[in-house]
Amino acid sequence: MDGGMGEADWKVGVDIGGTFIDFCALDTRSGRVASLKVLTTPDDPGAELMTGLSLLAEREGMDPRAVTRFVHGTTVGMNTVIQRKGAPLALLTNAGFEDVIELARLRMPDTYSLFCSRPDQLVARDMVFGIPARLRSDGTERQAPDMAAVADAVAALRAKGAVGVVVSFLHSWRDGGHETAVKEEIARLAPDLFVFTSAEVWPVIREYERTTTAILNAYVHPRISGYLSALEERLAGRAVPARPLLTKSNGGVMNAAEGKRACVHMLLSGAASGVNGAAWLARQAGEPRILTLDIGGTSADFALIIDGQAQFGVGEMIGEFPLHIPSVSVSSIGIGGGSIASVDGQGVLRVGPESAGSTPGPACYGRGGEWATVTDAMVVCGWLGHSQMAYGQLQMDAGLARAAVGRLADRLGRSLEATAQAILDVAVSEMFAEVEKMAARAGVDVRDFALMPFGGGGPMLGVFLARELGMPRVVAPRWPGVVSALGGLVADLRGDFVRTLFAELSPGLMPALREAFAAMGAEGRDWLAAQGHSGAAELLIVADMRYAGQSYEIETPLNPSWLDGDDPGAIADAFHAAHARLYDFDDPDGRIEIVNLRLSAIGSGPALHFPTAGEDDCAASAERTVPVYTGGAVTPVGLYRRADLQAGARFQGPAIVAQEDTTFAIPAGTDARVDAHLNLHLTFAE
Amino acid sequence: MFDRMKLQVLANHARSAAENMAHTLQRTAHSAFVKETEDFTVMLLNRRGETFGVPMELGATWYPGLTYGRAIAMIEDYRPGDVAFTNDPYSGFVATHAPDTHLWKPVFHDGEIIAWTGGHIHNTDMGGAVPASLSRALTEIHQEGIRFPPMKLVREGVFDEQILRIMTTNVRKPDLNIGDIKALVGALNTGERKILAMVEKFGKTAFLDGVDALLDHAEAQARDILRAMPDGQWVFADYADEDSVAANPCRLKLTLTIKGDEAILDFTGSDPQLASSLNVPSGGDPRHTMLLVGVYYVLYTLNPKILLNTGLTRPFTCITPEGSVLNPTFPAAVGMRSLTCARLRSVIFGAFSQAVPERLPAAPAGNNCIVNVMTTDERNGNRIIAAVNPVVGGGGGMPHRDGTNGSGADAAYLKNTPIEITEMETPVEFVRYGLATDSGGAGRWRGGLATHMAFRVFSPDTRITARNRDRGFFRPWGVLGGRAAGLSDMVVNPGTPGEKRLGNIDTAVLQPGDVLDIRSAGGGGRGDPFAREAWRVAQDVARGYVSAAAAEREYGVIIRDGALDTAATERLRSGRPSPTGHFHFGPEREGYERQWTPAAYDVLMRTLDGLPIHWRFFAKTEIFSRMAGRSGADGVEAALEEVYARFPEMPRSKALIREAAE
Repeated sequence: MDGGMGEADWKVGVDIGGTFIDFCALDTRSGRVASLKVLTTPDDPGAELMTGLSLLAEREGMDPRAVTRFVHGTTVGMNTVIQRKGAPLALLTNAGFEDVIELARLRMPDTYSLFCSRPDQLVARDMVFGIPARLRSDGTERQAPDMAAVADAVAALRAKGAVGVVVSFLHSWRDGGHETAVKEEIARLAPDLFVFTSAEVWPVIREYERTTTAILNAYVHPRISGYLSALEERLAGRAVPARPLLTKSNGGVMNAAEGKRACVHMLLSGAASGVNGAAWLARQAGEPRILTLDIGGTSADFALIIDGQAQFGVGEMIGEFPLHIPSVSVSSIGIGGGSIASVDGQGVLRVGPESAGSTPGPACYGRGGEWATVTDAMVVCGWLGHSQMAYGQLQMDAGLARAAVGRLADRLGRSLEATAQAILDVAVSEMFAEVEKMAARAGVDVRDFALMPFGGGGPMLGVFLARELGMPRVVAPRWPGVVSALGGLVADLRGDFVRTLFAELSPGLMPALREAFAAMGAEGRDWLAAQGHSGAAELLIVADMRYAGQSYEIETPLNPSWLDGDDPGAIADAFHAAHARLYDFDDPDGRIEIVNLRLSAIGSGPALHFPTAGEDDCAASAERTVPVYTGGAVTPVGLYRRADLQAGARFQGPAIVAQEDTTFAIPAGTDARVDAHLNLHLTFAE
Repeated sequence: MFDRMKLQVLANHARSAAENMAHTLQRTAHSAFVKETEDFTVMLLNRRGETFGVPMELGATWYPGLTYGRAIAMIEDYRPGDVAFTNDPYSGFVATHAPDTHLWKPVFHDGEIIAWTGGHIHNTDMGGAVPASLSRALTEIHQEGIRFPPMKLVREGVFDEQILRIMTTNVRKPDLNIGDIKALVGALNTGERKILAMVEKFGKTAFLDGVDALLDHAEAQARDILRAMPDGQWVFADYADEDSVAANPCRLKLTLTIKGDEAILDFTGSDPQLASSLNVPSGGDPRHTMLLVGVYYVLYTLNPKILLNTGLTRPFTCITPEGSVLNPTFPAAVGMRSLTCARLRSVIFGAFSQAVPERLPAAPAGNNCIVNVMTTDERNGNRIIAAVNPVVGGGGGMPHRDGTNGSGADAAYLKNTPIEITEMETPVEFVRYGLATDSGGAGRWRGGLATHMAFRVFSPDTRITARNRDRGFFRPWGVLGGRAAGLSDMVVNPGTPGEKRLGNIDTAVLQPGDVLDIRSAGGGGRGDPFAREAWRVAQDVARGYVSAAAAEREYGVIIRDGALDTAATERLRSGRPSPTGHFHFGPEREGYERQWTPAAYDVLMRTLDGLPIHWRFFAKTEIFSRMAGRSGADGVEAALEEVYARFPEMPRSKALIREAAE
């Protein structure tokens, strides 16, 4: 497609990370793609967004009036939780159960330590009010809510400065009536307070999980709401016609009105968008199974993409708190480019969890860091330091890296290069352990997957990790730095709904199943309509099932036709098969319980076509060779510029591929090829 | 030699393998013990059966130092695909009570066993006299369920159906047992695959050398920690409330000697083995993992980077005289050893607390009470046996913060079950589940609060067991001026005319509508409570953690109408002398030890040690029953004379014979 004809029609994805805000924009008329990174402005969230729009206008000629889709992922919610700057809240719950969030699920992290502890709660105990009220587990009422106690609580919580209230009662997953009645009473007594009930946020069985999810929602609500209103104004001020869409933890998007109410659904959107973008790229590249690897300065994130789809889970962490709505599953480990290497008293080398972060950062950044980090080890080996980094904002000082790693080498009595290589080996083994664990939970073998590295550090260590895991291939996108922004750009509208059934799967249950899914389907369609979606709706249905007596459910996708008739056999078979796949065995005679029914209503995003180029096989030529310590010796390694690698280009490792936002380290025994989408495919010889 | 610089790479692979096993087991198990309470372990074992890898995120914390060597040796001719098992506490000293079923599987490489995978699950019931197979009242191992000595459960990949049928016939919930056992076999298979992958990556020789290096590394780390402690000898004793239905205290005594990079834990002076199931079957192994659990906590707390494997047990030597509660002889009952183990840990904590007072917390609550209900579901007539939530107390005050509430320290691995799930599955209705005001020991850093749980039942003759309940008399101790914590309690129908306090009884029979109310102990306080910032005390009062009365009494902080009265507080606080002494035990233990002085215990233990093992507990009980109005060494001697007068059949204690000879 040739550019420059007709009026532009820009679709823009924007993602805010820790240091940068990333833009990925596509003009669908000309096929022009623009990417951009701008430093974040933590003190004035949203300002950097306007800077980015200005820069896109200047550099790429993007007219704000031609922006017809604007998808935004924000970390405002996550930061609010991590920095504990959310709304002062009160919790109203059943009398006798006021410590529901403090006790949580009792077990603590780090169980071998006498100093193990739980985080301080977002609602302190003096802001928790017990209301005499009780629903039985069968949904019948033992005691109606005591409205006099509610009135006392409202008076007290206002006096203590709460601006919002969460109402969470036992068994509201079955009947939210008590919660609603109390919410209405609070609205009557104190209309200025905002109130969320646990059942309206996410009506799922398990009181701690439901309550803490509702608290997270309320905690971030005022800030997110304010941020989104300001964003809408700013975009309107620039005459952007698109109404902003927000990325969600489930990899989909929603409109701003929904975002202000259902804030909790966007808390993990950053990581989810990255996986969503990776899944889109994987589908483009024809890769059904992908392990994503996003390495930053302090951590590495991993996710699985199976059959081109992101995987979902519950219980992902928001800072120190678990979130119990379905989110794109991302595992994280505290190993990144800034992780510090150290030698213990017995001469054993360790990496992390301490990190030099971005300040002072690795020694080679020359910002005062003295500890040897993973990045310094990459520099000492010679993989890094041959070009500018981070769009020219970083310059590597190899001398500082060698000095830092040298101090460890002296202690170990080993060569500088061998020490650096060992740092990389240990860092990779930490990631190996995390990926293996994730694979065990998911019941998959990562050797059936290709690795997709992105983020600033993914390409540095990704190839080494892939080989450690026995993976056959690596697939890397053209712009590893803006994969999250791309993920938003291409995302579908997606609304999730849940109902707890907690019943044995039997012929007698089938009418109830049909009824529940019909009601949830109607809810889903309404949700899509409210988002302004007019096209076809895709409804995915899932049952969280388990054998009676188990405590963990397997989410089992259901084919709607299985609900017809009175025979639950197809549903049971799907569960047995899922159980066998995940856990190596099943119990065909076992009783099956359906705990939750879930439905996702999906309205397709725009079908975007990014430009492709013809693949003419040709040998790429290295700009020059540089000495790199790899495979136990210093070897001349070809240095390639990513911008020079055209579709069809081929070359072999060992090699370095440098680009503005990252550097690829490619060891020997690797065949590299660039595809029509400019993805880099690495295949291992053995 | 394995390249030590890269040992962490192997350590990561080992941990990863163990965690894979744990995830496989936990999520596929059927029973609440395994899936919710996480009362299980999985481990990687070297050729000798010594643990070299355990999961850090899942499972119980007692077994990183476990060695399967003795049990492995009791079976001949292992073949690929075999899985062996035992639950007999007296065969190989791997299982430590009958519900714990341990499995192990050889990992073959080129026809040679290069490693093992192992693990245990706590079966909900193994048969025997009582549901769940555990009761303090049991007196010999035969009452505690069916026991399988080490034998093959799976032969070359095929389950031995005879064994499964025998188990099915003898236990109350066979489906749970067999489901869990199969889940554990799946986990062992996973571990086997992962070990073979490690052998492929590192090479066989490097793998074997590396596994040895992992143990050596843990040993060296443990020795470093000991070397950083002062040399010296510290004595500490702690008590379980009751030794049996006879309801006398059970004392554990430890003499800790640290010299250089080694430590001796001499438990001589601990009570004789009991005619109850509180005995800890260590087999006299000087490094039995059950004896060293408290040590793991201390080591890990002082160096969170320590590798957890058998190597770290090497610098430690435990002395447990045969016939003592920590080394009972067959057929002593052992089912409730976890209660004694909690005391064992607190004895170790107390000894190390004296060695490095600035670095360790006060006593944790130390009563990891597991509540089981056996009842009828009136909705469908089904009999139900279910575990309800564990009722555990807080952690002890730390050097840098308050003890954790409701759980923590050596109980932090326990999980609860959501009220909503329990009420769906079990016909009980909770009345409360929360924290107990004023239950944490006062201190500069307050002890963690106790858990307080109450529930109602609906069916006649509902039987409750509240295993491991303790600390109903002897409080979790405070240190460095911190105060002892609140006591545990169990009451039926509190606040009604029919209220019935159960004291330390661990079972109850409830009728329809009855409410059972259980409270754990709290964690001990650390440091002078008068040095706690007044605002913190005021915050505790606002949060309901401390009552206004206790704030004034324990902390010298005056709260009026919910607000801190700074002037009155300063007046009250000024001029009060700082507390002295390392420990605060509370009035109960102080009173008890006025009667049972160290000298009295010396006479008692000397006397009992001189008797044949099967006379000792009898003699102890008879002496205790004659101590009313008596105290000290003289009191014990007078009581002993009476016992001999009443039971002339009792052999003369060798101690007395020696004394007479001198």
